[in-house]
Amino acid sequence: MSDVVMQLVVNSITAGALYAIIAIGFTLSYGVGKFFNLAHGVMTAIGAYAVFYLTKGLQIEAWLAVFIAIIFTGAVGWLLERYIYAPLRARKASTMVLLVASLGAFTALQGVLSILFSSQVQTLTQGSAVQQVVAFAGATITEIQIITIITAIATLLGFVVLLRYTLFGKSVRAVSDDEEVSKIVGINTTRVIGVVFFLAAATAGLAGILVGFDTAIEPTMGMALLLKGVIAAIVGGIGNIYGAVLGALLLGFVENFGIWKIAGEWKDAIAFALLIAFLLFRPHGILNKKS
Amino acid sequence: MSTIKTENITKQFEGVHALDGVSLEIPRGRVTGIVGPNGSGKTTLVNVLSGIVRQDAGVLHIGGKEVSILKPQQVNAHGITRTFQEVRLFEQMTVLDNILVVVTERAVAASLFRRRQERCDREARQALETVGLWEKRSSPAAALSYGQRKLLEIARVLAMREAEVYLFDEPFAGLFPAMVDVVVKVMQGLKQEGKSVVLIEHSMDLIRQLCDTVIVMDEGKLLAQGTPETVFAKPEVIAIYVGK
Ligand SMILES: Nc1ncnc2c1ncn2[C@@H]1O[C@H](COP(=O)(O)OP(=O)(O)OP(=O)(O)O)[C@@H](O)[C@H]1O
Ligand SMILES: [Mg+2]
Repeated sequence: MSDVVMQLVVNSITAGALYAIIAIGFTLSYGVGKFFNLAHGVMTAIGAYAVFYLTKGLQIEAWLAVFIAIIFTGAVGWLLERYIYAPLRARKASTMVLLVASLGAFTALQGVLSILFSSQVQTLTQGSAVQQVVAFAGATITEIQIITIITAIATLLGFVVLLRYTLFGKSVRAVSDDEEVSKIVGINTTRVIGVVFFLAAATAGLAGILVGFDTAIEPTMGMALLLKGVIAAIVGGIGNIYGAVLGALLLGFVENFGIWKIAGEWKDAIAFALLIAFLLFRPHGILNKKS
Repeated sequence: MSTIKTENITKQFEGVHALDGVSLEIPRGRVTGIVGPNGSGKTTLVNVLSGIVRQDAGVLHIGGKEVSILKPQQVNAHGITRTFQEVRLFEQMTVLDNILVVVTERAVAASLFRRRQERCDREARQALETVGLWEKRSSPAAALSYGQRKLLEIARVLAMREAEVYLFDEPFAGLFPAMVDVVVKVMQGLKQEGKSVVLIEHSMDLIRQLCDTVIVMDEGKLLAQGTPETVFAKPEVIAIYVGK
């Protein structure tokens, strides 16, 4: 393989890994909540700005800041579910109402970030620190990109183990399957959904932090990342975490190889072309059997 | 002594009186049959008693407490469990997991760390063996045959040991004779344990065999209640079954 192709493969996988982290949480919260939680996107910015504040404002060490930021972002996700979505569901709100509510939460939280931190682009890395670059089979990859790939694998494995082998995971799958029956058999569905929203937001926050260390952060960073996560989740088959990962990788490859011979600005258009192709020809995604 | 009492329960669906002022008592520790023509409101009654459908008017008394609105998430705490006429399983999960998810303590923190305790495994196994599905424990629920699906749903309510009231909506419908025998034994076993059982069933033979009392419904109204012999001897009951 030529070096160009090799580099494109590396870029595709790193992009796919990032999208996967976002898509897994999105698809899981869709599974239990049965609506598109658009506020998932802003969690990336919340995670990134939490690290920004903790490291640059409070001078906390990076690893600890990342840890606190992940928990904090998860808590924000949990609060949205507990105080906005759960009461709406209790009032039998339609999925459309929930979607609009989540868009409202997205916009409001993004606004809060702009007020607190200004709309300026910031970085999480220390001043002039240059990123470590590793040469690999003719391509180059940064340290943070390697960490992103490892994080995506760990996130997937973590959720697979959680869902398959723990009782909590069984409850999550039961709630995804039939929330009403879950309630009747005594599963505390409110708590199960709350924990899923916590985990989803926490992982989205982690994705935002990785972006922050890789490139830069701004309060509006959530929308683009959300759209990639949503496209990956739909293309893979909504509600299915393996599907989310497959969709994310496919999106990463299609985007990066799509701009091989054309300008990089086409990336988003290519992503949407992929989405529309799936919506037209395989609306239930790669892995789901029926829509 | 009654375990559940309803007072003037009314429910309409787009002008259809599914339940029309139903007042009845379900005796404790007995098997109560519910019979009536199609569309007479039997399932709707069970839906109200299990929080699936909210009545337009009327109240419930469960274990002596007045309950005006029964929410699905409170049903388990009231000691009520049920099966569905159209079986509702956790389709993506294995047969065993369908049972394990209900036998285990549902506390999230505990369930995250404490994996299948022995007791839960034992209880799940017992419930599956009772209905003859232990061999199928690793299949996804979605892969079961129609009859096996009904049996799995029955195993699920059996696994809910703490329940006092068991509502079965046509558990025998579409079962092979051998499976019917299994379910008959389940009902008899529950009665022996002193549980209260409500059984919606069309077969008069099964009702006679299993039930201590029968409730007859017609067009959303309670037509008669009493022992199978007295109820099935009533002219108004015979009238709605003429030609059946
Ligand atoms: N969710 C619903 N929406 C609209 N109509 C309903 C609903 N549930 C029940 N009905 C109507 O209420 C009436 C009573 O239905 P129900 O299912 O309680 O009867 P049933 O006695 O269980 O009948 P079957 O023996 O056929 O199961 C019927 O006319 C039915 O069409
Ligand atoms: Mg019915």
